[in-house]
Amino acid sequence: MRKVLELYAMYARLDLAWFLKDTKICLMAITADFISNIAAVTGIFLLAYRFDGVGGMDKYEVLFMLGYVTAITGIVQAFFNFNVCHISRRIGRGQLEHMLIQPLPLWVQLLTEGFIPFSGTSNLLSGFIVMIIAVRSLAYAVTPIWLLHLALHLLISTIIVLSLNYLFSSLAFYAPSQAEEISTYVRNSSHNLSTYPLSGMSLAVQIPLLSVFPAGLMGWFPSLALLSEAPLGLPPLYPILVAFLLVLLAARVFSRGYGHYLTSGSPRYSAVGHRR
Amino acid sequence: MTENVITMAGVTKVYEQWQRSGRTGDIWRNILRPERRIVAALDDISFSVAKGEFVAYAGPNGAGKSTTMKLLAGMLRPNEGTVSVLALSPQKDRVALMKRVGVLFGNRSELWWDHPIASSFEWKRVVWGIPQDRFQHTRDMVVEMLDIGGLMKTFARELSLGQRMRADLALMLLHDPEVILLDEPTLGLDVVAKRQMIEFLKQLNRRKGTTVLVTSHDMDDLEEMAQRIMLISDGKLAFDGSFADLRKQTGNVCRITLTADSSAHQSELGRLVSSGTGIYEYEVNTAETSMQDVLGKIATLTGVTDIEIRRAPIEQIIAGLYSEWRNGSDCAK
Repeated sequence: MRKVLELYAMYARLDLAWFLKDTKICLMAITADFISNIAAVTGIFLLAYRFDGVGGMDKYEVLFMLGYVTAITGIVQAFFNFNVCHISRRIGRGQLEHMLIQPLPLWVQLLTEGFIPFSGTSNLLSGFIVMIIAVRSLAYAVTPIWLLHLALHLLISTIIVLSLNYLFSSLAFYAPSQAEEISTYVRNSSHNLSTYPLSGMSLAVQIPLLSVFPAGLMGWFPSLALLSEAPLGLPPLYPILVAFLLVLLAARVFSRGYGHYLTSGSPRYSAVGHRR
Repeated sequence: MTENVITMAGVTKVYEQWQRSGRTGDIWRNILRPERRIVAALDDISFSVAKGEFVAYAGPNGAGKSTTMKLLAGMLRPNEGTVSVLALSPQKDRVALMKRVGVLFGNRSELWWDHPIASSFEWKRVVWGIPQDRFQHTRDMVVEMLDIGGLMKTFARELSLGQRMRADLALMLLHDPEVILLDEPTLGLDVVAKRQMIEFLKQLNRRKGTTVLVTSHDMDDLEEMAQRIMLISDGKLAFDGSFADLRKQTGNVCRITLTADSSAHQSELGRLVSSGTGIYEYEVNTAETSMQDVLGKIATLTGVTDIEIRRAPIEQIIAGLYSEWRNGSDCAK
């Protein structure tokens, strides 16, 4: 644990140095990112505002959900940047070998290497601001317990996002060239799906999005669980079960793929995106 | 008794390659009954390297050099046989081993691209858990030996290839590895940068007794650096010994350059390799014709104004061997 914290501190220092190298440009980039993040969720909020809610969800509940989804993207961006989330890029480009020559277990490297707390917080900030606006508009009484629940849901949703990415990214062990960008497609589609309020949709849509491809657990389900009650009569902590199963599955598939990588080697190497 | 720090025993490494005809008509055959080719990158290879040795590992393209390096660095698993570095298994004890081994691939960099070199060094200190005092000492030493003091505040992306390679080498040495594995470290370097690299590696091996295993296509560089050479061909160890033994095995060929009038052209010193404007270059196999006989023949020539005798470049000897092996394997097919 001490080593993990030491590595987080070092990667934070590296990020700060990168940030301070050209602060003006960096701040401009963060501001632009911030505006585009808000703009990205505005469309759905305007629809909810025009029709005074979606499928039984209040317009500010929709806004909270959009803030939650943005915050999840922010956590992934700030903690698992630098192609740690998009691991298929590292695998497909043969860059995993750079990790194998470090005297650290792979999981420690994956947990710490993508930490960019200074240059990568625009999504996280905009997500929290949108959530605060939504909670205030709903006149929701925020308690420390509720904040703990929020933190837990954010953690679980992040685990689901990463597990899903690692599950599909494992394909890059077998088809490095074809699957190099698979993680980007998985993340984009899960993010896009997670911004839609699923309330009022048929079970045929809701159930797959809460189980097989759990985009509903990245925004809709936790938002309702936090603000009113969990949908479909499921327990509020149902995402923990899905996250647990998904982690087991992703870990199994990833370690098999990793074994294949060690047996077959990487037929290609590209330095693109390696080291910032 | 000399302690072995690298051991490979009966190691075989096989790759599968999917074959495609490239014809549209073969789509279904490619899907339903894909054709695979088995390539033995290493075929029952066994060798060991003693502590403090500087060993060159050479072979033609595709001979299995990088595969060997990756097996020793724990990036690959062998199909058969055992690999051991510093009495550890690179595959099972990767984390412990990497604290004691340095790995550098000439076409890859571990430096942080958008940061000064000093930041990459600091990154290495934390990741490898190097104690501050030891880090300072090793850092000062490698910075001085590789002459990169003036580059410490420069961003890696702004360095020339030679500077980048020196900085990468310094980074690799910061944890004071007992064994270093270098795959093509002089790749793409100009003459000056190459000289600096070679001198540094020789000095490191001499002063600190660091064991070095290096691959390169530049045989002259290897001969200058290493005491021993292992040659692989088609995944098999074709030669393991000193450079002098290698020369003996290939017939101790030497080159004689005569500056003389045209009568030298008619002489029977050996095989005439090149001639022009009064300069004649011969290749002589001293295993077949003694040097005494050769000098005797030269003494009978008139109009000789200058003589230069030198060993044939190792590059040429090895090129001859590669071509011999290639012809041999073609015949076998």
